[in-house]
Amino acid sequence: MLKKVFSKPEKPLIYYQQTMHEMVYLGVNSVGIISIISFFMGAVITLQTAYNTENPIYPTYLIGLGCRDSIILEFSSTISALILAGKVGSNIASEIGTMRVTEQIDALEMMGVNSASYLILPKIIATLLFNPLLTLISIIVAILGGWLAGTTAGVITSEDFIYGIQYAFIPYYITYSIIKTLFFAFIITSVSAFHGYFVEGGSLEVGRASTKAVVYSSVLILLFNVILTQLLLS
Amino acid sequence: MIRVENLNKTFDGRLVLDNISVTFETGKTNLIIGRSGSGKTVLLKSIVGLHEPDNGEIWFEDILFNNLDFEERKKIREQMGMLFQGSALFDFFTVEQNVRFPLDMFTGKTLEEKTERVNFCLKRVDIINSNKLYPSELSGGMKKRVAIARAIALNPKYLFCDEPNSGLDPLTAILIDELIKELTEEYSMTTIVNTHDMNSVVEIGEKVIFIHEGIKCWEGTNKEILHSDNQILNDFVFANSLAKQLKSTENNNSV
Repeated sequence: MLKKVFSKPEKPLIYYQQTMHEMVYLGVNSVGIISIISFFMGAVITLQTAYNTENPIYPTYLIGLGCRDSIILEFSSTISALILAGKVGSNIASEIGTMRVTEQIDALEMMGVNSASYLILPKIIATLLFNPLLTLISIIVAILGGWLAGTTAGVITSEDFIYGIQYAFIPYYITYSIIKTLFFAFIITSVSAFHGYFVEGGSLEVGRASTKAVVYSSVLILLFNVILTQLLLS
Repeated sequence: MIRVENLNKTFDGRLVLDNISVTFETGKTNLIIGRSGSGKTVLLKSIVGLHEPDNGEIWFEDILFNNLDFEERKKIREQMGMLFQGSALFDFFTVEQNVRFPLDMFTGKTLEEKTERVNFCLKRVDIINSNKLYPSELSGGMKKRVAIARAIALNPKYLFCDEPNSGLDPLTAILIDELIKELTEEYSMTTIVNTHDMNSVVEIGEKVIFIHEGIKCWEGTNKEILHSDNQILNDFVFANSLAKQLKSTENNNSV
Protein backbone atom coordinates (compact mmCIF):
# COMPACT_ATOMS: atom_id res chain seq x y z
CA MET A 1 0.00 0.00 0.00
CA LEU A 2 2.83 2.43 0.88
CA LYS A 3 4.25 2.04 -2.64
CA LYS A 4 0.89 3.18 -4.03
CA VAL A 5 0.69 6.01 -1.47
CA PHE A 6 4.11 7.40 -2.36
CA SER A 7 3.77 7.12 -6.13
CA LYS A 8 3.85 10.28 -8.26
CA PRO A 9 0.74 12.44 -7.71
CA GLU A 10 -1.55 12.84 -10.72
CA LYS A 11 -2.12 16.55 -10.17
CA PRO A 12 0.33 18.11 -7.67
CA LEU A 13 -1.87 21.21 -7.28
CA ILE A 14 -4.83 19.13 -6.13
CA TYR A 15 -2.62 17.20 -3.71
CA TYR A 16 -1.31 20.51 -2.36
CA GLN A 17 -4.87 21.75 -1.80
CA GLN A 18 -5.79 18.47 -0.10
CA THR A 19 -2.71 18.74 2.13
CA MET A 20 -3.70 22.26 3.19
CA HIS A 21 -7.23 21.03 3.92
CA GLU A 22 -5.89 18.12 5.99
CA MET A 23 -3.56 20.44 7.91
CA VAL A 24 -6.59 22.37 9.07
CA TYR A 25 -8.76 19.30 9.58
CA LEU A 26 -6.22 17.09 11.34
CA GLY A 27 -3.84 19.72 12.72
CA VAL A 28 -5.45 23.06 13.51
CA ASN A 29 -8.57 21.33 14.81
CA SER A 30 -6.41 19.42 17.31
CA VAL A 31 -4.83 22.52 18.86
CA GLY A 32 -7.68 22.90 21.37
CA ILE A 33 -7.61 19.37 22.77
CA ILE A 34 -3.80 19.30 22.84
CA SER A 35 -3.72 22.64 24.68
CA ILE A 36 -6.27 21.59 27.31
CA ILE A 37 -4.58 18.26 27.99
CA SER A 38 -1.10 19.80 28.02
CA PHE A 39 -2.16 22.53 30.43
CA PHE A 40 -3.47 20.06 33.02
CA MET A 41 -0.63 17.63 32.34
CA GLY A 42 1.90 20.37 33.11
CA ALA A 43 -0.01 21.37 36.23
CA VAL A 44 -0.08 17.82 37.60
CA ILE A 45 3.59 17.16 36.77
CA THR A 46 4.61 20.30 38.67
CA LEU A 47 2.50 19.46 41.73
CA GLN A 48 3.65 15.83 41.81
CA THR A 49 7.30 16.82 41.36
CA ALA A 50 6.88 19.31 44.20
CA TYR A 51 5.36 16.75 46.57
CA ASN A 52 8.04 14.17 45.68
CA THR A 53 10.91 16.57 46.30
CA GLU A 54 9.75 18.00 49.61
CA ASN A 55 13.22 18.03 51.06
CA PRO A 56 15.19 21.07 52.20
CA ILE A 57 18.31 19.64 50.49
CA TYR A 58 16.75 20.07 47.08
CA PRO A 59 16.49 23.62 45.76
CA THR A 60 12.90 24.39 44.72
CA TYR A 61 13.91 25.47 41.21
CA LEU A 62 14.45 21.75 40.52
CA ILE A 63 10.66 21.50 40.36
CA GLY A 64 10.74 23.75 37.28
CA LEU A 65 13.65 21.81 35.82
CA GLY A 66 11.96 18.44 36.43
CA CYS A 67 8.71 19.73 35.01
CA ARG A 68 10.46 21.05 31.87
CA ASP A 69 12.45 17.89 31.17
CA SER A 70 9.49 15.56 31.78
CA ILE A 71 7.34 17.60 29.45
CA ILE A 72 9.90 17.98 26.68
CA LEU A 73 11.39 14.49 26.82
CA GLU A 74 8.27 12.46 27.29
CA PHE A 75 4.88 13.96 27.88
CA SER A 76 4.44 16.49 25.08
CA SER A 77 5.53 14.11 22.35
CA THR A 78 4.27 10.75 23.61
CA ILE A 79 1.09 11.73 25.44
CA SER A 80 0.12 14.10 22.63
CA ALA A 81 0.73 11.29 20.14
CA LEU A 82 -1.49 8.94 22.13
CA ILE A 83 -4.21 11.59 22.29
CA LEU A 84 -3.87 12.19 18.55
CA ALA A 85 -3.97 8.43 17.89
CA GLY A 86 -7.40 8.51 19.50
CA LYS A 87 -8.67 11.68 17.87
CA VAL A 88 -6.98 11.81 14.48
CA GLY A 89 -6.42 8.06 14.07
CA SER A 90 -10.04 7.10 14.60
CA ASN A 91 -11.08 9.99 12.38
CA ILE A 92 -8.84 8.85 9.50
CA ALA A 93 -9.83 5.19 9.81
CA SER A 94 -13.55 5.92 9.94
CA GLU A 95 -13.41 8.50 7.12
CA ILE A 96 -11.49 6.23 4.74
CA GLY A 97 -13.42 3.14 5.92
CA THR A 98 -16.75 4.85 5.23
CA MET A 99 -15.47 5.85 1.80
CA ARG A 100 -14.58 2.22 1.18
CA VAL A 101 -17.95 0.74 2.19
CA THR A 102 -19.93 3.44 0.35
CA GLU A 103 -17.95 2.77 -2.85
CA GLN A 104 -16.38 6.25 -2.91
CA ILE A 105 -12.93 4.64 -3.18
CA ASP A 106 -14.22 2.46 -6.03
CA ALA A 107 -15.45 5.66 -7.69
CA LEU A 108 -11.95 7.16 -7.44
CA GLU A 109 -10.30 3.99 -8.80
CA MET A 110 -12.89 3.81 -11.53
CA MET A 111 -11.94 7.32 -12.67
CA GLY A 112 -8.30 6.25 -12.83
CA VAL A 113 -7.30 8.11 -9.67
CA ASN A 114 -4.71 6.43 -7.42
CA SER A 115 -7.05 6.37 -4.42
CA ALA A 116 -4.42 5.32 -1.88
CA SER A 117 -2.20 8.22 -2.83
CA TYR A 118 -5.01 10.77 -3.19
CA LEU A 119 -6.56 9.93 0.19
CA ILE A 120 -3.55 9.06 2.32
CA LEU A 121 -0.51 11.02 1.09
CA PRO A 122 -1.97 14.48 1.93
CA LYS A 123 -2.85 13.23 5.43
CA ILE A 124 0.68 11.88 6.01
CA ILE A 125 2.31 15.09 4.77
CA ALA A 126 -0.12 17.25 6.76
CA THR A 127 0.53 15.44 10.04
CA LEU A 128 4.29 15.30 9.44
CA LEU A 129 4.28 19.07 8.98
CA PHE A 130 1.78 20.03 11.66
CA ASN A 131 2.32 17.55 14.51
CA PRO A 132 5.76 18.97 15.42
CA LEU A 133 4.01 22.32 15.81
CA LEU A 134 1.43 20.65 18.04
CA THR A 135 4.27 19.25 20.16
CA LEU A 136 5.82 22.70 20.51
CA ILE A 137 2.43 24.17 21.47
CA SER A 138 2.03 21.33 23.96
CA ILE A 139 5.44 22.05 25.53
CA ILE A 140 4.68 25.76 25.92
CA VAL A 141 1.17 25.26 27.28
CA ALA A 142 2.25 22.46 29.64
CA ILE A 143 5.04 24.60 31.11
CA LEU A 144 2.55 27.44 31.46
CA GLY A 145 0.14 25.08 33.23
CA GLY A 146 2.95 23.91 35.50
CA TRP A 147 3.94 27.47 36.37
CA LEU A 148 0.34 28.49 37.10
CA ALA A 149 -0.39 25.41 39.23
CA GLY A 150 2.92 25.63 41.10
CA THR A 151 2.65 29.30 41.95
CA THR A 152 -1.10 29.16 42.73
CA ALA A 153 -0.66 26.16 45.03
CA GLY A 154 2.33 27.88 46.64
CA VAL A 155 4.74 24.99 46.09
CA ILE A 156 7.19 27.17 44.15
CA THR A 157 7.73 30.84 43.51
CA SER A 158 7.40 32.26 40.03
CA GLU A 159 11.11 33.25 40.02
CA ASP A 160 12.27 29.76 41.03
CA PHE A 161 10.08 28.09 38.44
CA ILE A 162 11.33 30.36 35.66
CA TYR A 163 14.92 29.88 36.81
CA GLY A 164 14.32 26.09 36.89
CA ILE A 165 12.98 25.86 33.39
CA GLN A 166 16.02 27.77 32.10
CA TYR A 167 18.57 25.88 34.19
CA ALA A 168 20.84 23.40 32.36
CA PHE A 169 18.66 23.50 29.30
CA ILE A 170 19.75 21.10 26.54
CA PRO A 171 18.33 22.21 23.15
CA TYR A 172 18.81 18.68 21.75
CA TYR A 173 15.90 17.57 23.93
CA ILE A 174 13.59 19.61 21.69
CA THR A 175 15.10 17.98 18.59
CA TYR A 176 14.64 14.57 20.22
CA SER A 177 11.00 15.38 20.96
CA ILE A 178 10.37 16.55 17.38
CA ILE A 179 12.02 13.44 15.90
CA LYS A 180 9.78 11.26 18.05
CA THR A 181 6.76 13.30 16.98
CA LEU A 182 7.58 12.77 13.30
CA PHE A 183 7.74 9.00 13.79
CA PHE A 184 4.53 9.02 15.81
CA ALA A 185 2.74 11.17 13.20
CA PHE A 186 3.68 8.70 10.47
CA ILE A 187 2.54 5.76 12.62
CA ILE A 188 -0.83 7.35 13.45
CA THR A 189 -1.66 8.30 9.87
CA SER A 190 -0.38 5.24 8.04
CA VAL A 191 -1.72 2.65 10.50
CA SER A 192 -5.13 4.31 10.68
CA ALA A 193 -5.32 4.79 6.92
CA PHE A 194 -4.36 1.14 6.40
CA HIS A 195 -7.17 -0.07 8.67
CA GLY A 196 -9.68 2.22 6.98
CA TYR A 197 -8.56 1.50 3.42
CA PHE A 198 -8.87 -2.26 3.69
CA VAL A 199 -12.13 -2.42 5.62
CA GLU A 200 -14.72 -4.85 4.25
CA GLY A 201 -18.38 -4.92 5.16
CA GLY A 202 -20.53 -2.15 6.60
CA SER A 203 -20.73 0.39 9.39
CA LEU A 204 -19.98 -2.21 12.06
CA GLU A 205 -16.69 -3.07 10.38
CA VAL A 206 -15.86 0.63 10.01
CA GLY A 207 -16.29 1.01 13.79
CA ARG A 208 -14.08 -2.01 14.40
CA ALA A 209 -11.45 -0.68 11.99
CA SER A 210 -11.50 2.62 13.83
CA THR A 211 -10.96 0.90 17.19
CA LYS A 212 -8.20 -1.29 15.75
CA ALA A 213 -6.51 1.78 14.28
CA VAL A 214 -6.35 3.46 17.69
CA VAL A 215 -5.15 0.32 19.50
CA TYR A 216 -2.45 -0.60 16.96
CA SER A 217 -1.26 3.02 16.63
CA SER A 218 -1.04 3.39 20.41
CA VAL A 219 0.91 0.16 20.86
CA LEU A 220 3.30 1.06 18.03
CA ILE A 221 3.79 4.55 19.49
CA LEU A 222 4.75 3.05 22.86
CA LEU A 223 7.06 0.53 21.20
CA PHE A 224 8.77 3.15 19.04
CA ASN A 225 9.02 5.42 22.07
CA VAL A 226 11.30 2.86 23.71
CA ILE A 227 13.30 2.20 20.53
CA LEU A 228 13.77 5.90 19.69
CA THR A 229 14.68 6.80 23.26
CA GLN A 230 17.38 4.14 23.25
CA LEU A 231 18.64 5.23 19.82
CA LEU A 232 18.53 8.98 20.34
CA LEU A 233 19.49 9.41 23.99
CA SER A 234 22.01 6.62 24.54
CA MET B 1 -18.47 -1.81 -28.07
CA ILE B 2 -17.39 -3.88 -25.09
CA ARG B 3 -16.75 -7.58 -25.50
CA VAL B 4 -16.40 -10.04 -22.65
CA GLU B 5 -15.02 -13.48 -23.43
CA ASN B 6 -15.00 -16.55 -21.20
CA LEU B 7 -14.87 -14.54 -17.99
CA ASN B 8 -14.45 -16.44 -14.72
CA LYS B 9 -14.25 -15.00 -11.24
CA THR B 10 -14.01 -16.75 -7.89
CA PHE B 11 -14.07 -15.40 -4.35
CA ASP B 12 -12.50 -17.64 -1.70
CA GLY B 13 -12.86 -20.65 -3.99
CA ARG B 14 -16.53 -19.90 -4.73
CA LEU B 15 -17.25 -19.50 -8.44
CA VAL B 16 -19.18 -16.24 -8.86
CA LEU B 17 -18.92 -15.81 -12.63
CA ASP B 18 -18.80 -18.92 -14.77
CA ASN B 19 -17.50 -18.57 -18.32
CA ILE B 20 -19.43 -15.40 -19.23
CA SER B 21 -19.23 -14.27 -22.84
CA VAL B 22 -21.24 -11.29 -24.07
CA THR B 23 -21.01 -8.28 -26.35
CA PHE B 24 -22.36 -4.89 -25.26
CA GLU B 25 -23.28 -2.74 -28.21
CA THR B 26 -22.47 0.92 -28.84
CA GLY B 27 -25.32 3.45 -28.65
CA LYS B 28 -27.53 0.98 -26.83
CA THR B 29 -28.65 0.54 -23.25
CA ASN B 30 -27.40 -2.93 -22.35
CA LEU B 31 -28.94 -4.44 -19.25
CA ILE B 32 -27.57 -7.13 -16.99
CA ILE B 33 -30.40 -8.61 -14.95
CA GLY B 34 -30.60 -11.31 -12.33
CA ARG B 35 -31.45 -12.00 -8.73
CA SER B 36 -29.51 -10.44 -5.87
CA GLY B 37 -26.23 -12.33 -5.48
CA SER B 38 -26.32 -13.71 -9.02
CA GLY B 39 -23.04 -12.01 -9.94
CA LYS B 40 -24.29 -8.89 -11.77
CA THR B 41 -22.21 -6.42 -9.77
CA VAL B 42 -19.13 -8.65 -9.89
CA LEU B 43 -19.47 -8.80 -13.70
CA LEU B 44 -19.85 -5.02 -13.96
CA LYS B 45 -16.93 -4.38 -11.59
CA SER B 46 -14.81 -6.91 -13.48
CA ILE B 47 -15.54 -5.10 -16.74
CA VAL B 48 -14.43 -1.75 -15.33
CA GLY B 49 -11.39 -3.28 -13.64
CA LEU B 50 -12.45 -2.94 -10.01
CA HIS B 51 -12.25 -6.73 -9.75
CA GLU B 52 -9.55 -8.73 -11.51
CA PRO B 53 -11.06 -11.73 -13.33
CA ASP B 54 -9.42 -15.13 -12.76
CA ASN B 55 -9.36 -15.66 -16.51
CA GLY B 56 -11.13 -14.44 -19.61
CA GLU B 57 -10.84 -11.32 -21.72
CA ILE B 58 -12.44 -7.88 -21.62
CA TRP B 59 -12.18 -5.87 -24.82
CA PHE B 60 -12.95 -2.17 -25.15
CA GLU B 61 -13.21 -1.86 -28.93
CA ASP B 62 -9.92 -3.49 -30.02
CA ILE B 63 -8.06 -3.01 -26.73
CA LEU B 64 -7.66 -5.93 -24.34
CA PHE B 65 -8.41 -4.03 -21.11
CA ASN B 66 -7.49 -6.64 -18.53
CA ASN B 67 -3.95 -6.95 -19.91
CA LEU B 68 -3.22 -3.27 -19.35
CA ASP B 69 -1.35 -1.91 -16.33
CA PHE B 70 -2.72 0.88 -14.06
CA GLU B 71 -1.28 3.72 -16.15
CA GLU B 72 -2.49 2.25 -19.46
CA ARG B 73 -5.94 1.59 -17.99
CA LYS B 74 -6.14 5.23 -16.96
CA LYS B 75 -6.53 6.30 -20.60
CA ILE B 76 -9.52 3.97 -21.02
CA ARG B 77 -10.92 4.91 -17.63
CA GLU B 78 -11.01 8.57 -18.60
CA GLN B 79 -13.56 7.47 -21.20
CA MET B 80 -15.70 5.72 -18.60
CA GLY B 81 -18.39 7.06 -16.32
CA MET B 82 -19.96 5.04 -13.58
CA LEU B 83 -23.06 5.41 -11.45
CA PHE B 84 -22.71 3.37 -8.29
CA GLN B 85 -25.53 1.73 -6.36
CA GLY B 86 -25.27 4.18 -3.46
CA SER B 87 -24.27 7.06 -5.78
CA ALA B 88 -20.77 7.16 -4.20
CA LEU B 89 -20.66 10.94 -4.17
CA PHE B 90 -17.73 12.29 -2.18
CA ASP B 91 -19.17 13.36 1.18
CA PHE B 92 -16.59 16.11 1.71
CA PHE B 93 -17.34 17.83 -1.61
CA THR B 94 -20.33 19.91 -2.63
CA VAL B 95 -22.45 18.96 -5.64
CA GLU B 96 -20.41 21.29 -7.83
CA GLN B 97 -17.08 19.97 -6.53
CA ASN B 98 -18.22 16.38 -7.05
CA VAL B 99 -19.07 16.98 -10.71
CA ARG B 100 -15.94 19.08 -11.22
CA PHE B 101 -13.64 16.44 -9.70
CA PRO B 102 -12.97 14.43 -12.90
CA LEU B 103 -12.40 17.70 -14.76
CA ASP B 104 -9.92 18.83 -12.08
CA MET B 105 -8.06 15.53 -12.22
CA PHE B 106 -7.94 14.88 -15.94
CA THR B 107 -8.24 18.13 -17.86
CA GLY B 108 -6.25 21.31 -18.10
CA LYS B 109 -9.35 23.47 -18.36
CA THR B 110 -9.64 26.82 -16.60
CA LEU B 111 -11.95 27.15 -13.61
CA GLU B 112 -14.39 29.10 -15.78
CA GLU B 113 -14.50 26.36 -18.41
CA LYS B 114 -14.89 23.69 -15.76
CA THR B 115 -17.70 25.57 -14.04
CA GLU B 116 -19.45 25.96 -17.38
CA ARG B 117 -19.20 22.21 -18.01
CA VAL B 118 -20.37 21.42 -14.46
CA ASN B 119 -23.41 23.65 -14.86
CA PHE B 120 -24.16 22.08 -18.24
CA CYS B 121 -24.01 18.55 -16.80
CA LEU B 122 -26.11 19.47 -13.78
CA LYS B 123 -28.69 21.17 -15.97
CA ARG B 124 -28.75 18.12 -18.22
CA VAL B 125 -29.79 15.96 -15.27
CA ASP B 126 -32.23 18.59 -13.99
CA ILE B 127 -30.26 19.66 -10.93
CA ILE B 128 -30.59 23.41 -10.62
CA ASN B 129 -29.59 25.77 -7.77
CA SER B 130 -28.02 22.96 -5.76
CA ASN B 131 -24.35 23.53 -6.60
CA LYS B 132 -23.36 24.42 -3.06
CA LEU B 133 -25.25 21.61 -1.33
CA TYR B 134 -23.45 18.60 0.17
CA PRO B 135 -24.52 15.03 -0.67
CA SER B 136 -26.00 14.62 2.83
CA GLU B 137 -28.47 17.41 1.96
CA LEU B 138 -29.77 15.67 -1.17
CA SER B 139 -32.58 13.17 -1.67
CA GLY B 140 -31.82 9.69 -3.08
CA GLY B 141 -33.02 10.68 -6.56
CA MET B 142 -30.97 13.88 -6.56
CA LYS B 143 -27.87 11.96 -5.49
CA LYS B 144 -28.31 9.61 -8.44
CA ARG B 145 -28.71 12.55 -10.79
CA VAL B 146 -25.59 14.27 -9.47
CA ALA B 147 -23.71 10.97 -9.79
CA ILE B 148 -24.86 10.75 -13.41
CA ALA B 149 -23.74 14.35 -13.97
CA ARG B 150 -20.31 13.43 -12.55
CA ALA B 151 -20.22 10.31 -14.73
CA ILE B 152 -20.84 12.29 -17.93
CA ALA B 153 -18.60 15.25 -17.03
CA LEU B 154 -15.73 13.97 -19.18
CA ASN B 155 -18.08 13.08 -22.03
CA PRO B 156 -17.45 9.34 -21.69
CA LYS B 157 -17.73 6.65 -24.36
CA TYR B 158 -18.83 4.09 -21.81
CA LEU B 159 -21.41 4.47 -19.05
CA PHE B 160 -21.85 1.89 -16.31
CA CYS B 161 -24.77 1.96 -13.91
CA ASP B 162 -25.01 -0.37 -10.94
CA GLU B 163 -28.61 -0.63 -9.72
CA PRO B 164 -29.50 2.95 -10.67
CA ASN B 165 -33.04 2.57 -9.30
CA SER B 166 -32.32 0.98 -5.96
CA GLY B 167 -34.01 2.84 -3.14
CA LEU B 168 -36.02 5.10 -5.43
CA ASP B 169 -39.78 5.46 -5.77
CA PRO B 170 -41.25 4.16 -9.08
CA LEU B 171 -41.69 7.61 -10.63
CA THR B 172 -38.17 8.76 -9.85
CA ALA B 173 -36.87 5.38 -11.02
CA ILE B 174 -38.56 5.88 -14.39
CA LEU B 175 -37.07 9.37 -14.69
CA ILE B 176 -33.59 8.00 -13.99
CA ASP B 177 -34.12 5.23 -16.55
CA GLU B 178 -35.26 7.72 -19.16
CA LEU B 179 -32.29 9.95 -18.42
CA ILE B 180 -29.85 7.06 -18.88
CA LYS B 181 -31.48 6.09 -22.17
CA GLU B 182 -31.51 9.68 -23.45
CA LEU B 183 -27.86 10.22 -22.57
CA THR B 184 -26.89 6.93 -24.20
CA GLU B 185 -28.54 7.96 -27.46
CA GLU B 186 -27.42 11.59 -27.25
CA TYR B 187 -23.71 10.80 -26.78
CA SER B 188 -23.76 7.41 -28.56
CA MET B 189 -22.32 5.72 -25.49
CA THR B 190 -22.01 2.03 -24.72
CA THR B 191 -24.14 1.82 -21.60
CA ILE B 192 -24.33 -1.15 -19.28
CA VAL B 193 -26.94 -1.12 -16.53
CA ASN B 194 -27.17 -3.65 -13.72
CA THR B 195 -30.70 -4.00 -12.46
CA HIS B 196 -33.34 -6.33 -11.11
CA ASP B 197 -36.07 -3.79 -11.75
CA MET B 198 -38.43 -5.16 -14.41
CA ASN B 199 -39.73 -1.68 -15.20
CA SER B 200 -36.22 -0.78 -16.36
CA VAL B 201 -36.04 -3.92 -18.47
CA VAL B 202 -39.27 -3.06 -20.24
CA GLU B 203 -38.53 0.66 -20.58
CA ILE B 204 -34.87 0.78 -21.61
CA GLY B 205 -33.60 -2.78 -22.15
CA GLU B 206 -32.49 -2.63 -25.77
CA LYS B 207 -30.25 -5.58 -25.04
CA VAL B 208 -30.71 -7.74 -21.97
CA ILE B 209 -28.59 -10.52 -20.54
CA PHE B 210 -29.85 -12.65 -17.66
CA ILE B 211 -27.36 -14.00 -15.14
CA HIS B 212 -28.34 -16.81 -12.81
CA GLU B 213 -25.90 -18.15 -10.21
CA GLY B 214 -22.96 -16.74 -12.18
CA ILE B 215 -24.00 -18.25 -15.50
CA LYS B 216 -25.38 -16.34 -18.46
CA CYS B 217 -28.75 -18.02 -18.94
CA TRP B 218 -30.38 -15.85 -21.56
CA GLU B 219 -29.71 -12.97 -23.96
CA GLY B 220 -32.19 -10.94 -26.00
CA THR B 221 -34.21 -7.73 -26.11
CA ASN B 222 -36.90 -6.29 -23.84
CA LYS B 223 -39.53 -7.44 -26.35
CA GLU B 224 -38.21 -11.00 -26.51
CA ILE B 225 -37.93 -11.36 -22.74
CA LEU B 226 -41.71 -11.39 -22.26
CA HIS B 227 -42.09 -14.31 -24.61
CA SER B 228 -39.17 -16.46 -23.61
CA ASP B 229 -39.64 -20.11 -22.75
CA ASN B 230 -36.63 -20.12 -20.42
CA GLN B 231 -38.14 -21.29 -17.13
CA ILE B 232 -35.50 -19.73 -14.85
CA LEU B 233 -35.87 -16.41 -16.67
CA ASN B 234 -39.66 -16.57 -16.48
CA ASP B 235 -39.50 -17.32 -12.74
CA PHE B 236 -37.48 -14.11 -12.37
CA VAL B 237 -39.38 -11.88 -14.81
CA PHE B 238 -42.84 -12.91 -13.67
CA ALA B 239 -42.03 -13.18 -9.98
CA ASN B 240 -44.69 -10.78 -8.70
CA SER B 241 -48.42 -11.52 -8.80
CA LEU B 242 -49.27 -8.64 -11.17
CA ALA B 243 -46.76 -9.88 -13.75
CA LYS B 244 -48.07 -13.45 -13.33
CA GLN B 245 -51.62 -12.24 -13.96
CA LEU B 246 -50.55 -10.34 -17.07
CA LYS B 247 -48.70 -13.37 -18.36
CA SER B 248 -51.70 -15.69 -17.80
CA THR B 249 -54.05 -13.13 -19.44
CA GLU B 250 -51.75 -12.91 -22.42
CA ASN B 251 -51.56 -16.72 -22.66
CA ASN B 252 -55.36 -17.00 -22.47
CA ASN B 253 -55.78 -14.38 -25.19
CA SER B 254 -53.32 -16.15 -27.47
CA VAL B 255 -55.21 -19.46 -26.93
